[in-house]
Amino acid sequence: MAETSGTFLAPPKALTARAEFWAGVRDETPLMFGVIPFGLVFGVLGVESGLSSLQTILLSSILFGGASQVVFAQLWAAGVPAFIVGGSVCVINMRHLLYSASMAIYLRPLSLRWRILLGYLLTDEAFAVSIRRFQHETPGPFQHFHLLGSGLLLWVGWQISTVFGVVVGETIPESWSLSFAIPLTFIAVVAPILKSRADLAAAVTAGSLAVIGQPLPWNSWLLLAAIGGILAGWLVHQFNQSAGGAA
Amino acid sequence: MIWLVMIAAGLFTFATRFIMLSNIISNRPPPWLVDALGFVPIAVLTAIIVPAVLIDPASQKIALDDNPRLFAAILAIVTALVTRQVITTIGVGLAALWLLQWAL
Repeated sequence: MAETSGTFLAPPKALTARAEFWAGVRDETPLMFGVIPFGLVFGVLGVESGLSSLQTILLSSILFGGASQVVFAQLWAAGVPAFIVGGSVCVINMRHLLYSASMAIYLRPLSLRWRILLGYLLTDEAFAVSIRRFQHETPGPFQHFHLLGSGLLLWVGWQISTVFGVVVGETIPESWSLSFAIPLTFIAVVAPILKSRADLAAAVTAGSLAVIGQPLPWNSWLLLAAIGGILAGWLVHQFNQSAGGAA
Repeated sequence: MIWLVMIAAGLFTFATRFIMLSNIISNRPPPWLVDALGFVPIAVLTAIIVPAVLIDPASQKIALDDNPRLFAAILAIVTALVTRQVITTIGVGLAALWLLQWAL
């Protein structure tokens, strides 16, 4: 990740809209090495699980959130009732509340049109690079263009890689086990962020409930495991905080 | 029907991204909710990973030995911890799976 220059040494001159936009694009670029393979894999999985090409491709712009799209495709393919599919997607995407809450002080002054556009583009990856710019670099009148740059690059990359995945997926035989790339992608995301005891509690609980809950009707194991894992992590976190120990 | 669910889920997702930027809610979410939401990625992603690795797609039963997916996943975890790269992790994991499926 690019080192920020630090608030002490930053030049007082504000960047132009164009400079902010391209800084956002540049800061987002390294993350695309994770996003593009994931988009490809989602495209493959979408058609493999029985969604039409159009549904798979449009899911990438309607939901625009990788994990929730995977869950949507898998649950829908399994014939799960709509309210479980919708509920699972909603639980997964609730985390965006955190992002918009953190972005609020920087974006609230903008017009409604800008806030709608930037809200739509507010994904994990765009948030990660642009919040760093907002918090650690000199504020500027065009700083929101940074999020526009990071968000748009991500959006374009995600759409294109989904389309490629759909096209490729129709030609790949199932014996290649390409759908295994989904858990592999998530392993790459989760393994490095398991740091505290609370993180481990969340992971172990969610993983165990997901296996134990398999016989439950309507594939509701996912919802159960997600909520159980969140609760376990939260409880251990609370306990550590009140005990005064390091989490 | 599927379109309806897609669009409803999409609208909800957009709402979670937009609502704190809107003038509808002016307060930050309470600290307990912030803490809880911080565990969403770990809980959800692990819940997807573990059955995909442990449950045999053919028999739908838990498979611990003779399970090439489990070995591939362990190798992928090590790769992820060392390289922190998505594409390398996918590559190592898939290569391991193919090799084991071919060898077993």
